[in-house]
Amino acid sequence: MVEYRIDRRGGVATYLQIVQQTKQALRMGLLEPGDRLPTAREVVEATAINPNTVLKAYRELEREGLVEARRGLGTFVRATLGTAPADSPLRGELDAWARRARAEGLDREDVAALFTAVLTQHFEGDDEA
Amino acid sequence: MSTTTEGIALRADHLGMKYGGRRGGWALRECAFALPAGRICALVGPNGAGKSTLLALAAGLMRPTEGTLTGPGRDDLAYVAQSKPLHPRLTVADTLRMGRELNPGRWDEAGALRVVEGGGFSSDTLVHHLSGGQRTRVALALALGKRAELLLLDEPMADLDPLARHQLMGLLMSDAAERGTTVVMSSHILTELEGACDHLMLLAGGRVRLDGAVDDLLAAHTLLRGPVADLAPHTVIDSRTTGRQLTALVRREGPVEGAWETTEPSLEELLLAHLRNPEGAAA
Amino acid sequence: MSALSLKGPAWVTVRQYRRTLWLALALALFALAVVAGLRIYTAQEPLPMRDGTWIPGADNHGYPKLRAIMEYVSVVTMVLPGVVAAFVAGPMVAREYESGTYQLSLTQSVSPADWLRSKVTVATGFALLAMLAVMGLFWFGRLGVREGWDYHWGQAGTYTATGVTALAQVLAAVAVGALVGQLVRRTLPAMAAAGLVMGVVTLAFNAYRWSILPLERATGSLGADGPFTPSGDHLYMDSGVLTSSGTPFDQAICWNQINAIPGIDGDPERWEKAQEQCYAEHGVTTQYLDYHPASHFWPTQLIETGIVLALAALAAFAAFRVLRARHP
Repeated sequence: MVEYRIDRRGGVATYLQIVQQTKQALRMGLLEPGDRLPTAREVVEATAINPNTVLKAYRELEREGLVEARRGLGTFVRATLGTAPADSPLRGELDAWARRARAEGLDREDVAALFTAVLTQHFEGDDEA
Repeated sequence: MSTTTEGIALRADHLGMKYGGRRGGWALRECAFALPAGRICALVGPNGAGKSTLLALAAGLMRPTEGTLTGPGRDDLAYVAQSKPLHPRLTVADTLRMGRELNPGRWDEAGALRVVEGGGFSSDTLVHHLSGGQRTRVALALALGKRAELLLLDEPMADLDPLARHQLMGLLMSDAAERGTTVVMSSHILTELEGACDHLMLLAGGRVRLDGAVDDLLAAHTLLRGPVADLAPHTVIDSRTTGRQLTALVRREGPVEGAWETTEPSLEELLLAHLRNPEGAAA
Repeated sequence: MSALSLKGPAWVTVRQYRRTLWLALALALFALAVVAGLRIYTAQEPLPMRDGTWIPGADNHGYPKLRAIMEYVSVVTMVLPGVVAAFVAGPMVAREYESGTYQLSLTQSVSPADWLRSKVTVATGFALLAMLAVMGLFWFGRLGVREGWDYHWGQAGTYTATGVTALAQVLAAVAVGALVGQLVRRTLPAMAAAGLVMGVVTLAFNAYRWSILPLERATGSLGADGPFTPSGDHLYMDSGVLTSSGTPFDQAICWNQINAIPGIDGDPERWEKAQEQCYAEHGVTTQYLDYHPASHFWPTQLIETGIVLALAALAAFAAFRVLRARHP
């Protein structure tokens, strides 16, 4: 089960935050096909956001084919964004790279800046979500 | 106040309310709106804008001076007044029992208890001894326990600490998610309601200045920055000129063309722009 | 006073005012204990009868106390309607408006009329019980003090404590309270106004109730055989003399005339002669006495009760009309 954290100051629309955090959980393998997403009621009770926002986010995820709503049962994960599950080779390489960066004296912010710069260079223009 | 038009939770036509006889001023004037059912509506505006009057009229506590306000009847609405009135000599348990006795057949004891829980007081405490925030909790418990179609809350969060505010707003939202309750919440602090509300009604000087779904309102407005020029055909809500640069918030009429940098305004920017220009075009 | 069997708005009303209800009950029990105690105390000292009157012994300290308390009890029957009206108008109705709790009460599933009706019903029930208790106390205490001039049926206190108008007064008090409370909407002014209204009603009836039924008139010749009194238990209202044609004659005319005679003050015989002479000059032949016989007690009670009940109905009707006009 995922738990959503809503940042009201970040400037990112609330429904997008839910979409992104769901995808993040899918990528990390925290959510797998067949898992049930929390109900809108559970989400709004914990986050105090508008129920329609949650429904809008779930509709977006459904439109992207990641989840499906089963009447009366809830919303279930259908697909995975498994490009980088926890034990994939890509993750291993990144892991090794991060270890080397640290050994060479880069601190957390240096690494993050470097990573973001490379990310921007390669994924410029892609959909934000 | 008995018939609800399909899909509309609350409708006002030429609604006006005047206090204090012939010489009194108008608290509301020429208000017209139709609030769709299931919306969480933020009723905002400066102090004295008429928010409390509108809520009390919707609650059926007064008769409007002119026009009509159509919504659910007494059985199907719950109202929490700004002062959170409760009988001071009843205990919390008695107050909830009162909710059950006065709302036979629809009272949700478990729902009411969930609101009271976490308030840091026992149920045999006299209401008289509760703090402001605790009173709010009990008042909201009575309102939610009634399982109403329409919840009218006047400054519901004003007395609450951030934690309680979050918890109670969560409970309100979960009630809305579960039963499709329409909620109208007033506040003069927008951030209190941002995120929870999907509908906005701005009152100023007794008139409806802005009314609509939050997404629609934001999409209809644009924040412009660029050279000073005529902004027609767009409706200028607020504008500021610094040297040769113009910053303006407009309601668009068609696409914006010109050498302007455009962004969608935040809800707060939209509200501030409207509040700064009370005589501007009404929505 | 158990709240167990009550439902809906009545439960709420009783629950809200239960402290007042318990207090009133405690007060009633206390008063009963005092009267009962004094009765036991005085019963141990038999009252000798002298000249047709019961005279308490010099050692019987309980008897005067019991009489004094009975005096208070009869006053309570006259004051209670004012207290009831003040309580209904102030704490029960106006305070809801003053403190804003009407916004809570009037937005529940029960109608505003149900809300006011529960208040009126609970207040009526309780105030009737309270009045009956006080009247019972009067009756119980009175058995211990025997008849005396200050317990005559025509006296305001006794009249109220032994009849039925007091019960109608209680109903009117509740209705007046419900109306005034809504009109004034502030606790203390509402209490004062409602108490005043019932006070005026009580005073007006005390002043005019014996003008409702026509007086009986006993007449007799101007004889020398002592003061003229009608037979039987009666309430004295007025007396005087009549001329042969039956018109009342102002006795002051003769008295002024006689008083002008020098040196007459110290001579009763001369005074009487002079009066006879004066009456004869003016053609006065008869003396009369206007009174209410004891048989007027119940008709007066019933007529008064009818008037008060009409007042109660009017006030209750107005109270519900005001409520409906204000709260849709």
